[in-house]
Amino acid sequence: MDIRDIFDIELTSFSTFILLASSLFMALAVSAIHKGNLKSTRWMLFGTIVFGAIFLACQVYEFTHFVHAPGNELTLSSYRGQPHVFGSTFYVLTGTHGTHVAIGVFWLIGWLAYSFTGKMSSVHAIDVEICGLYWHFVDVVWILIFPVVYLMEYAF
Amino acid sequence: MSGHSEDPVKEESERFFTFFNLSMLLVAITGIEIVIIYVRSFEGSTIFTVLAVCSVIKFIGVMTWFMHLRWDKILNTILFLMGLVIAAFTFFAVIYMADDTPVVEKFVISQIGKKWESEKVYKVGDYIENNNTFYIAKADHKSGQNFSVKTKNFQAWKKVQGIPHELIWKVSTGNLIEINSLKPENPFFHQYHPSKTDNIEGSKISLLAENVVAEDFRIKVRSEASWVEGLNQ
Repeated sequence: MDIRDIFDIELTSFSTFILLASSLFMALAVSAIHKGNLKSTRWMLFGTIVFGAIFLACQVYEFTHFVHAPGNELTLSSYRGQPHVFGSTFYVLTGTHGTHVAIGVFWLIGWLAYSFTGKMSSVHAIDVEICGLYWHFVDVVWILIFPVVYLMEYAF
Repeated sequence: MSGHSEDPVKEESERFFTFFNLSMLLVAITGIEIVIIYVRSFEGSTIFTVLAVCSVIKFIGVMTWFMHLRWDKILNTILFLMGLVIAAFTFFAVIYMADDTPVVEKFVISQIGKKWESEKVYKVGDYIENNNTFYIAKADHKSGQNFSVKTKNFQAWKKVQGIPHELIWKVSTGNLIEINSLKPENPFFHQYHPSKTDNIEGSKISLLAENVVAEDFRIKVRSEASWVEGLNQ
């Protein structure tokens, strides 16, 4: 089997860029709340949410494309109609990461909504920062998954 | 948590450029990763090394600045890295525990192409030797009385450059078999991805410059955790 037949490196590279950019937004959101700049915090949180959502959309598109790729169908238990372990490994690994991104997006939406209640201030900097640490960790995990799962296929 | 000094506002303003520059660096490194994949002229080991180094740099960048461990107590960094070490240890433990070391049960190299014989049925792909020159059959046919340019049957043969050899191997397990020559006269290289996990047998015909035996070649079998080399006759 050659899994490179179904990988779309352009799409995955784009979603990697999006996730890296979302980490910048997150870092700036933490920075803004520390400075007590609520307006900037909102925009940065919004940017992180949008980029996180784009990443998830890319993953949903990718999974759908893989499952229905004509002649190259990759399901949880098979590849090209033959039993194969790669599908379960791939979907569980990247799917678990995607689930964590989704959790992060909902967490950020919570903070964005809270920022409109009028109760948010620099007192909550530590809370937003914890959310940021979670987001960066999800980013760090993708930094490892991207070369190991996608790019390393081209090395051997 | 992020180790702020007495003026967090000033400090955060200074960090803005750090975050932005780091972000640009991460994108640039990702670009390098993509380019090295697209430029298909690098060897697997080179690609692996570059990707590993790029990932480590990106990992350290995000961990140090975005997760601001740089400005935190050293204990936080130690705790963070401890998790990484445990994860790495678990990964390698699982890989090695589940791995079967391959055994090269058979590796034989033999010259093929017997002397041409008259009145014999030859099939497409058969090799023969005549006057120290090797030929391959282009079509199924029955040989005549003479092997000569003037005969009709001669058209059924094509001259080959080199000495045809058959390489036969059998290994117990493994997911990649690599065979390469130790002699510069025979720059042969072959990679084979077995589709089964046991009783892996294969063969390949190759035209070589000189007569060889298995000692002139190296067979390497890769499992998940190791490379095994064999030179069995």
